[in-house]
Amino acid sequence: MSDASPNNSADPAEPTRIVIGIDLGTTNSLAAVRAGKTPHVLREQGGDPLTPSMVCLHPDGETLVGAKAKAMRLDHPDRTVFSVKRLIGRSATESQNDILELPYEVVAGERDLPRIQLGDQQLSPEAISAMVLKEIKATAEQALGHPVHEAVITVPAWFDDAQRQATKDAAELAELKCLRILNEPTAAALAYGLDGKNDGTVLVYDLGGGTFDVSILRIQDGIFRVLATKGDTHLGGDDFDQLLAQRILELLPSKQGTEDPYVLQAVRSAAEGLKMRLGEQDSATLELDLGERGQIELTVTRAEFEAAIAPLVQRTLDCVTSATRDAGLDLAQIDDVVLVGGSTRVPLVRDRLESLIGKPPHTDVDPDQAVALGAAIQADVLAGNDKSLLLLDVIPLSLGIETLGGTVQKLILRNSTIPTSVSEEFSTGVDDQTAVDLAIYQGERELAKDCRLLGQFKLRGIPPLPAGLPRILVTFLVDADGVLRVTAREQRTGVEASIQIVPSFGLTRDEVRRMMLESIEHAQDDYLAREAIEARAKAESMVRGTKKALQLAELPPDQTFAVHKAVKALEKLLTSDADAAALQSASDDLTKVTATIADDVISAAVTKALKEEQQQ
Amino acid sequence: MIHVPSPDAFAVFGIERTLDLDEQELEMHYLKLSRDCHPDHNRAETTDDCAAVLQRSAEINDAWKILRDPWRRARALLEAESPGALERNKQLDPMFLMEALELAEEVAHADSEQKPALTSKLEAAIDADFAALRQDVLDGDFDAAAKRVHQSHYHQKALHDLEAKS
Repeated sequence: MSDASPNNSADPAEPTRIVIGIDLGTTNSLAAVRAGKTPHVLREQGGDPLTPSMVCLHPDGETLVGAKAKAMRLDHPDRTVFSVKRLIGRSATESQNDILELPYEVVAGERDLPRIQLGDQQLSPEAISAMVLKEIKATAEQALGHPVHEAVITVPAWFDDAQRQATKDAAELAELKCLRILNEPTAAALAYGLDGKNDGTVLVYDLGGGTFDVSILRIQDGIFRVLATKGDTHLGGDDFDQLLAQRILELLPSKQGTEDPYVLQAVRSAAEGLKMRLGEQDSATLELDLGERGQIELTVTRAEFEAAIAPLVQRTLDCVTSATRDAGLDLAQIDDVVLVGGSTRVPLVRDRLESLIGKPPHTDVDPDQAVALGAAIQADVLAGNDKSLLLLDVIPLSLGIETLGGTVQKLILRNSTIPTSVSEEFSTGVDDQTAVDLAIYQGERELAKDCRLLGQFKLRGIPPLPAGLPRILVTFLVDADGVLRVTAREQRTGVEASIQIVPSFGLTRDEVRRMMLESIEHAQDDYLAREAIEARAKAESMVRGTKKALQLAELPPDQTFAVHKAVKALEKLLTSDADAAALQSASDDLTKVTATIADDVISAAVTKALKEEQQQ
Repeated sequence: MIHVPSPDAFAVFGIERTLDLDEQELEMHYLKLSRDCHPDHNRAETTDDCAAVLQRSAEINDAWKILRDPWRRARALLEAESPGALERNKQLDPMFLMEALELAEEVAHADSEQKPALTSKLEAAIDADFAALRQDVLDGDFDAAAKRVHQSHYHQKALHDLEAKS
């Protein structure tokens, strides 16, 4: 992209490289840039620096973004998309509760990915985010008077690998080179600690529209080191609004309101207004006229509101306590507390946090702008303009691979400073095997089913050798974006094994490329074929694994029989040319049967089986 | 799946292989290495973070995690000085195992009144383990040192279990 960058400008005072920082929020987004020492936000002349993260595909064919889209939310509630950050990098099934609350329609697309239905168009969350990013980019370009090609984009610290990757994909679709995915609380700490007056141990409490993060950092001579982080990607001001919205909806004469996009959107907006007023007053009254759909009058006291949100606030405080413990600190060792995100304006949040930590929060940082300003500082560092600052961040959730029996062996532990890497050696189970599949999970739980499957890594091109002879060195490296990279090499021959990644969430590399080219052709057939191969491989390995476990476990006869029956059914399917759906359903049946077997019996068998595997 | 040991942490840091590291100096050294090698400060203009830079940076972070913890430091030192010593010396003296078993019993039955005394006792045992380990290393007896590492694991586990009791 360097051909289009302003390098060749005639003005010698002009910076050689402009990298902006973007806070891509659930509710609002904004950009900032650092020119000189202090960063500043970028806005259109006289405009609001915050751009609503909203997109409206107007029935007349126009696409509106930002404030213009927000203005349409009552006229076209079913075509105005917001809070897409709650969907990005997740499956439709996982997002079920969010989808129910949204006035626009979300359907399950390929691989159970959420697709936003706008008229006859289906758009991915990445595509919607890309539209918001394009708008931010245009605003920045207008404010700067230069084209912008590169950016640092922030995400909640608690975003997992899939959500980070999806955000990078959105940037690519917006034709922005994403130089770094930066954690929001870390960015805020950078804005807070830039002047060097605040060296020490700081806790950043970031409660936004849709997500919550807490990070503990040590700031020392320009080095910002994250010690621990904790969060919840589904906890924010939207949830406070939702509690108020529920009370309003209960007062509606007809219960159909919950399915009417107009009512949902009107109630949502009213709830947000009510929340804001309750931040300043002891009680607030709402008069909502929904025309023929009914009139509502409701008075809520602050005490009632606080009682309703108290459990949510307590969840954030539990995260604060556990992050502090993970950092190896006591609450008393926290020197300062920085508040970020619009929802920290709720008085109960401030009060509870202050009484937990025992000191009032720092108030010099603008909770709406700190993240974007911090991103701009990091952008400046990456542009090579400031060598005095350095961020050392961590991976929020452990990464591991599935081993026999559905347990997860952790490879990289949470709160490890990134970049970080670990190497493992794998071999083959049958003669002349040329491929090995690895399932990568992220999460803290022991069993694969309780963690998130990030993707399947298929090592290809292993030289055909007797079973157990190939030695495939696989290196798992988490880069500075917190995104996993896997490389593999066969040790005896030095052959670089190729890796095919099938992400469980978000877009595949091919999809990004396809969308970039705006190709209409759908590789549906390819996809089905690939899906069938995968389902088959998975079913085969389940049959093998279960048989092995059966030999080792001493099960009561009735359970043995049930398992045998399910295995036989799956084996029979494997000899036919059953499609992916049939194989999947039979595999699920087998999983259900094995799941009912007492856990301890299975885990004993699995441990034994694993030991034998290792000795091979 | 076989775990591949990390590269020699002392070599990654470019420091002498010794158990006696000044923690503050070590931390300063880590921060300096991070400044020099972090991908944020070593970007190619037009490409993504280069794999070699990431790998070096990852090794520094991982070595720091090892070196800052005295016991992990000891394991790394043994692995570098006498490869396989830890694996070879897993068999522990039956007498020691008996004592370890008794300790575990004591921890399991300890009430809140006995807890402080038992905690001090275990901490003292772990300190003694480390002192003995240091002497073994100085004497160049890496097999004995490896045994100490395995022995101390029992004391550390007992202490951990005791702390987990509330």
